[in-house]
Amino acid sequence: MPQHLSIFVENKPGKLERITAVLAEAGINIRAVSMADAGEFGVVRILPDDPDKGLAALKAAHFTVTKRKVLIALIGDKPGALHELLVQVAEAKANVQDCYGFVTEEGKRAAIVIEVEKFPEAEESLRARGVRLMADSGIHSL
Amino acid sequence: MFWDKEFETMDEGALRALQLERLRWTIGQADRSPMYRNRFARDGVPKIKTMDDVRRLPFTTKQDLRDAFPYGLLAVPLEEVVRLHSSSGTTGNPTVIYHTKADIDGWGDLMARCLYMSGMRKNDVFQNMMGYGLFTGGLGFHYGAEKLGALTIPIGPGNSKRQIWFMQQFKTTVIHILPSYALRLSMFFEEMGLDPRKDLSLRIAYVGSEPHTEETRRRIEEIWGIKAYNSYGLSEICGPSVAFECPSQTGMHLWEDRFLMEIVDPKTGDPLPDGEEGELVLTTLQRAATPLIRYRTRDLTRILPGPCPCGRTSRRLDRIKGRSDDMLIINGVNVFPLQVEKALVKIPSLGSNYVIELRTENFMDRMHVNVELGRDAFQGTLPELERLQARVTEELKAEIGFTPVVKLVEAGSLPVPEGKAIRVVDQRDKQ
Repeated sequence: MPQHLSIFVENKPGKLERITAVLAEAGINIRAVSMADAGEFGVVRILPDDPDKGLAALKAAHFTVTKRKVLIALIGDKPGALHELLVQVAEAKANVQDCYGFVTEEGKRAAIVIEVEKFPEAEESLRARGVRLMADSGIHSL
Repeated sequence: MFWDKEFETMDEGALRALQLERLRWTIGQADRSPMYRNRFARDGVPKIKTMDDVRRLPFTTKQDLRDAFPYGLLAVPLEEVVRLHSSSGTTGNPTVIYHTKADIDGWGDLMARCLYMSGMRKNDVFQNMMGYGLFTGGLGFHYGAEKLGALTIPIGPGNSKRQIWFMQQFKTTVIHILPSYALRLSMFFEEMGLDPRKDLSLRIAYVGSEPHTEETRRRIEEIWGIKAYNSYGLSEICGPSVAFECPSQTGMHLWEDRFLMEIVDPKTGDPLPDGEEGELVLTTLQRAATPLIRYRTRDLTRILPGPCPCGRTSRRLDRIKGRSDDMLIINGVNVFPLQVEKALVKIPSLGSNYVIELRTENFMDRMHVNVELGRDAFQGTLPELERLQARVTEELKAEIGFTPVVKLVEAGSLPVPEGKAIRVVDQRDKQ
């Protein structure tokens, strides 16, 4: 199953830049990034091509970071595609904790990263509804 | 068991008689210093018939020591003095304490008594991670450990990886370390792939120089897998060795053959009975170069009533609650920084470092507490951080009685000074 990195950050200028500097130095390609904050601090999510290497690089730079499993759904890059996916997610009764997306091929394909509470169940249920989920290795080839 | 059985187990009657004799000597000795000589010439030399007369003696304050700078408290000819220790003097003249050869020997012997009591022996390897120099912590322990006969490594503070490397190479069994540094240093264990219980030979840590809570001590013991002993000392009364924990870890024996202790009401100066909390007042009983009479330490504590199971007769001091000038007054509420630490230590997912910031907001005092998130505690979600922040706020409110503003910060992001940790930054408008 694909994984993204979750990094604890304080809301201060230059915080994101410090993270991207470490990942650039380690030769990690960032596929997507999202951020959620609660005022003075927040959590940055980064989808790297190599989560293990990214985790090690950030830990070595003393970041408070952890690796988390995600589902990556592949959808068409067209109006209504995300809505269609979210309807299926709702039908699967999967509680979404985090969700962000990026276009992988303009006008053709987009990827939606979803973090849910109950992984194996949600994954199975979405697959059964015909949602295309990316395999572990897929992230490298995007 | 005992380094100096006669003095350690002296019965109360004999101890008070010894104190009376030594107090009279101290008053005579003080009369040789310019400061006390002037005072006694003005107010008369105090007559001490019984120990009850002690309360008629005038107090000596830190300001008296500052005013006497540099040589006003020296009670022996300069040729007899072999060392001085001094405060940093950041807020005025430094306070300077002089020692004769006999003073240094007596101090080293008392320090050895403390170390022996808590389990150090000749075959121990002692790594002294405290600052040397004008500060008494490093040299005080150093002389005591040498007097006892242990191999003493004067490594001083800082350079964390080298500290751990020394511990591994020399099979260090005893360390002397700031409590905040003991917690910080343990963060390197994981990075170095090291299990302190298996890969180190440590059995004892002396933690002192910074006020800390019982919870912090237990946490250090747990992380390092060793016994941690608390001690009390201040440079004006020689430094470490004034009071020290025995293996029962229930209070610190203040050596009454060497010092006279009183607990007084910090406002009125009236003596308080054993068990009641107040300001510790100390008189040196055997120091020739700089005798001090009824020195106001400004440290708040109490004498623990009752005998100690270890058999030593010197009464025990409770953990220092704070220094009277550390007390923060926040919108009229009294708060000690240690109360904040006490609340924070209850929450395992926090790191060890924190800073209290006081600000004026809308004409009111506001307390901000910045605390580091533990490096390994983070699960990766925002709700967990919000829950943690709420819990920290609740624990603090329960301890101090009002709601502070809590901010979680990254591990390692708060400033880490080499010496004592700076816990309070007061940015309130000065009226």
